[in-house]
Amino acid sequence: MTVTFRRDFQALCLFCLILGQPIQGHAGKPAFSLHGFGTLGLARSTDDSAEFVRDLSQRNGLTEAWSFETDSVLGLQANLHFNPEFEGVVQAASHYNPHGDFKPELTWAFLSYAPSPAVTLRAGRLGNEFYMLADSRLVGYSYVTVRPPVDYFGTLPFDYFDGLDLAITRPLAGGLFKAKAYAGLSREQSPWAELQFNMSGSLLAGAYLDFIKGPWQFRLGHANLQFDRDLPVEDFYDALPPNTADELRVADKSTSFTAFGAVYDSGPLQTQFMLSRTLSHHGVFQDAWAGYLILSYRMHALTPFVGLSAAKSSPKDLDHPIPGYTDVFQAEFYNDQRTLFLGTRWDFMENFCIKAQMDIVRGKPESRFLYRWENLEDWDGSMTVLSVTLDFIF
Amino acid sequence: MLTLASSVIANETSLVVAIHVSAGVETLTRDQVINIFLGRFRQLPNGHLAIPIDQDSDHPIRAEFYRRLVGKNPAEIHAYWARLIFSGKTTPPREAESEEQIIQWLMTEPGAIGYLPADRLREPLKAVFTLDP
Repeated sequence: MTVTFRRDFQALCLFCLILGQPIQGHAGKPAFSLHGFGTLGLARSTDDSAEFVRDLSQRNGLTEAWSFETDSVLGLQANLHFNPEFEGVVQAASHYNPHGDFKPELTWAFLSYAPSPAVTLRAGRLGNEFYMLADSRLVGYSYVTVRPPVDYFGTLPFDYFDGLDLAITRPLAGGLFKAKAYAGLSREQSPWAELQFNMSGSLLAGAYLDFIKGPWQFRLGHANLQFDRDLPVEDFYDALPPNTADELRVADKSTSFTAFGAVYDSGPLQTQFMLSRTLSHHGVFQDAWAGYLILSYRMHALTPFVGLSAAKSSPKDLDHPIPGYTDVFQAEFYNDQRTLFLGTRWDFMENFCIKAQMDIVRGKPESRFLYRWENLEDWDGSMTVLSVTLDFIF
Repeated sequence: MLTLASSVIANETSLVVAIHVSAGVETLTRDQVINIFLGRFRQLPNGHLAIPIDQDSDHPIRAEFYRRLVGKNPAEIHAYWARLIFSGKTTPPREAESEEQIIQWLMTEPGAIGYLPADRLREPLKAVFTLDP
């Protein structure tokens, strides 16, 4: 894994160095521009009995040994402005992926058409906007914490989809009102022990409403994910009575995500509050509540922050349960934990910052969904995670 | 020495948001200026496209403009644009190489809107919003 990490990451670093500074057209009119972002992260946990992951797209997680994998990322983006109405964007990123390596992947690739400032239509590969700020999760420089709160964002292994979105913006009541709808197909996977849950072909569709006024921004969103394939446990399904297996299949069934977000951003003070409700029409992924609150306050180059996040799920009652089997299976997807996190961001030079963070996770021993490789005899649901990152843009 | 002089100008002088008189815009509110320069909604009150122009990134007036407008320092503004650029939403204002270039663009390009020290305003440009020290 380390060798692969070095090869892929170094190759992308070299590519970025060769390309150097953003390229702009003559007379200050940028026809083509090239930018990048990256994070060099180190993190460890205090508990080897379960591995902490940034989100469910990661194959392995943190142990008591310091690790680069969890938060390190390097991305490169090219923007091509054809004219004021049309723009093309391509972004590739290298980060720790479901296969346990850093092979770069295409994270954005779309054409956008903006016939007026009020309307934007994009088609191609687009970032997932299930939750507010979810489409910029890889860009560590853009937020104050080391990583988006895992209790909230960790259950989303979807970074992008192939489809389209339409956004309409209008002034309203002294503020700005924005409505956006999107739909497309997932192309991603989520590792599950030695297996891969292939979500490619799953249909994502959703919409959200934003209202921005002064320092406030509010968002109400709803998204639906209809799975195209079942979990890779066909032997398990075959061993169950058909009506029981049907309740535990996800193919052609859906999970919905409803979320509310509020941001207050005024001068040095930034606050974020988000709350989500996940509901599933199958017996696998559990209905869940998740939320978080972050407070940060800039003091010169330092921005200390503190936050609290939580997630709690409950399994579906099956019509045809097999005690000792179906309940054990459903327990793999259970989640009940809280995290207090605190740290600071230091903007020590232009376009670079260093962050340090401590996450104090407290949960039930049965809370396992957001971890990898739990040792059930030792796992007590609690751990502390220590992280430090260097984030940059260019 | 030049930078020091510019810093003094930036700290002690009113900054005006300027546009060509032919744009037909009388005044803008603070929220409208924020919407245009932070890429939220780049439309003038008359419905025309607004094209915001930034001072050079090394010019102290640029940092002072955003400090007075939204209370943010340059690192916070960079972080803000990192989120929008790398999620394909919008692009930052065009960056001029000099104050003279800003004035030239304001005079020649429809919808161009920029910011200047108040005493650099000249016809046919007009101030539509003022940020005092």
